[in-house]
Amino acid sequence: MGGHSLKKLNIILALLLIFTVFLSACNAGNQTTGETDDSNIVTLKFMGWEASPLETKAVKVGLEKFMKENPDIKVEYTPVPQTQYSSKLLTMLAGDAAPDVFFLGAEDYRTFQKKNVLLDLTAYFENEYSIDDFIPSSANIMQIDGKIFGVSSCTVSPVLFYNKDLFDKAGVPYPPSNPEKAWTWEQFVEAAKQLTKKDGDKVTQYGVFGLENNYMTTAEYFSNGGSPYNNDFTKSTFNTPEVKEVLQAVLDLRVKEGVAPEASVLEKIGMRPTQMLQTGKVAMLVDGSWALQELASMNFPVGAAPLPKFKESVTHGQAHVHAASAKTKHPEEAWKLISFLSSEEYQTQLVKEGLWMPNRQSLYTDEGIKKWYNEDVHPEGFKEMATFFRDAKPNPNAFLSNNKVSSIITEELDKFYYDGVSIDRVAERIDKRSNVELQNQRD
Amino acid sequence: MTNVQMLNCKIKGIKKFEIALGPFPRAFQIRGGEMKSQKLLSEAAPLVKKSEPETRKKFLKNLFYKEYTWAIVLLLPNLIGFLLFTLWPVLASFLLSFTEWDLLQPMKFVGIQNYINLFQDEIFIKVFGNTLYFTIVSVPIGIVISLLLAVALNQGLRGIKFYRAAYFLPVISSMVAVAVIWQWIYNPEYGVLNYFLSVFGIEGPSWLTSTKWAMPAVIVTSIWKNVGFNMLIFLAGLQAIPESYYEAADIDGATWLKKFRHITIPLLSPTTFFVSVMSVIGSFQVFDSVFLMTQGGPARSTSVMVHYIYENAFQFFKMGYASAMSYVLFFIIAIITLIQFWRQKKSQIY
Repeated sequence: MGGHSLKKLNIILALLLIFTVFLSACNAGNQTTGETDDSNIVTLKFMGWEASPLETKAVKVGLEKFMKENPDIKVEYTPVPQTQYSSKLLTMLAGDAAPDVFFLGAEDYRTFQKKNVLLDLTAYFENEYSIDDFIPSSANIMQIDGKIFGVSSCTVSPVLFYNKDLFDKAGVPYPPSNPEKAWTWEQFVEAAKQLTKKDGDKVTQYGVFGLENNYMTTAEYFSNGGSPYNNDFTKSTFNTPEVKEVLQAVLDLRVKEGVAPEASVLEKIGMRPTQMLQTGKVAMLVDGSWALQELASMNFPVGAAPLPKFKESVTHGQAHVHAASAKTKHPEEAWKLISFLSSEEYQTQLVKEGLWMPNRQSLYTDEGIKKWYNEDVHPEGFKEMATFFRDAKPNPNAFLSNNKVSSIITEELDKFYYDGVSIDRVAERIDKRSNVELQNQRD
Repeated sequence: MTNVQMLNCKIKGIKKFEIALGPFPRAFQIRGGEMKSQKLLSEAAPLVKKSEPETRKKFLKNLFYKEYTWAIVLLLPNLIGFLLFTLWPVLASFLLSFTEWDLLQPMKFVGIQNYINLFQDEIFIKVFGNTLYFTIVSVPIGIVISLLLAVALNQGLRGIKFYRAAYFLPVISSMVAVAVIWQWIYNPEYGVLNYFLSVFGIEGPSWLTSTKWAMPAVIVTSIWKNVGFNMLIFLAGLQAIPESYYEAADIDGATWLKKFRHITIPLLSPTTFFVSVMSVIGSFQVFDSVFLMTQGGPARSTSVMVHYIYENAFQFFKMGYASAMSYVLFFIIAIITLIQFWRQKKSQIY
């Protein structure tokens, strides 16, 4: 009967459609670590974050070089947005779909190592490198109980950038590049006041921006002789006069002296801090040294100087490490890639662009500086500033293996910066809450 | 006609009837009137011979035509998806809530420790408070606005289709785009809102960085985005009210307000009930508006429960704790929904 066969046809078509849906779902599975195909080429999966498009470009250029030197290794690089990087890496590791080699932020390094997901690189490392060649901040961060699970890529530190044009217009002398002659905090505030311009009631140009950020102020805690944590990172020490003095001084920049804008005001209209400096909305910017890559390409005379000091001119340094998954199928090749990424030649290429600073002692000698100094990027006097980076203290956040602490600090400092809660109360609460978490982290 | 002839007609009639309606009547016959059909079939038995190997084939063929077979087959893709991706994770989450797990290391069984910690966690209490604040403010205001909009659109004005689409547009817009635009509007120096306020001489605060104003700002955005959805549901409910009631009220000389209070609202009560239950559930689960606009807000003033669950799971790597929290959220929503159902039963209009 015609009715029946037509119905049967429809039914078969319906079932076919249902099955194709299932098949397409099955085929979408990810490959895990790299495969070795017939021609014996090992494919490594490499994941990193993209702090800026320039960074990704630089990484890709470096990888091309590596692949030329190692024709039997192919590297697939996947940049991922930085904000979701740790969660993405975590879920990939949990799902056995982790990349072979990946960036790992200094604050996540110890956390992830505790979970035994990083390949032990100590043997490989000691074969090719010496830990003493690395500057102290990098060496301290890289070593976990004497072992190496990731090789520090570079170093970055918060510095003071400034717009030379605005300084010239206001007749203010540039901040010194030599850390030994760095501005004191008072000199800094004085300059900021002279660089703040008003048009009637509205401020058209602010003196400085960027200090209301714990990453930046941590350098100033050290400068004031204090520290946010005790020596073995088991206790939070925000509630100490040195730290509190710094935070109060930073708040006063905005609230008392009126030389700093509220953080969100300009950011929320999509203007990045570097653009604020470029367009003259602020005369000085406190930001990580990585911003130099972008600032140098922005066609305005930018200068860089050590941060203003309270007592001592010092900053902190840290950088992401290059690590390998403990479950990688190609540990030898993964080490080759990490070794290349840690090599002087790869590093100097990115230092030349202003994105990184070297983490080798040898690159801070006069000879060494010549290898990476780039007139087009590094502002005048940058060579004098080099020791500021070399002698940096390691960033304390790299030694915590607990992410909740930074969330607590941000929450409480928000209350201080935006809600008018007193610094004593805020520091007390930070310590109380952080200590609970730090206790738990040792379990 | 002889008896046999009548019998034959009857049988032919049944057969004709069955052929005309296709295979389905058999299914109906199974439920009711089975004895009758059996009797008729047995009378017609000499015409049809059943043999053993054909019984199975016939069974399958019968199954092929049964309604419930088709129901199950067509539901199967959705059902499998539901079982695998919704039901199983929900059950697994319940089991997870009694463990401590960071996705990479083996699970550690801790019993109800997570739940105990939860109620002593000051951040949890804060985010629960924020979620309650969000719900208590956004649900009633949202319902009132969408009801009024629906009543306005029901007047049969010209261009009603355009307005319906215009009000529904925010609902289907991407939350990311909405968040970006509203961030611009709320900007204290360059934003439209503060400019508008300055015309009246009011100096607007920095909306999204003020611990006092961030939550109201996010609530306004959220209401703006979702009012179109409830408005459409109310419109459907309004159109189900017979015109005759209004005409009768007109004859009795009722004002618009009286008509609204005594006809519209009572007859809309099933719709209102549905909208309020869904809105409460939705607002307890709010996440995207908060996360995208303020990322938890200055000093956690806009951090809501789902945001804290997300943080615990993916930033602090505490899966067990996050699962416990999501079950507490589930129970809270369930209890509130049950209360709403119970109240609705009690105040049945009709």
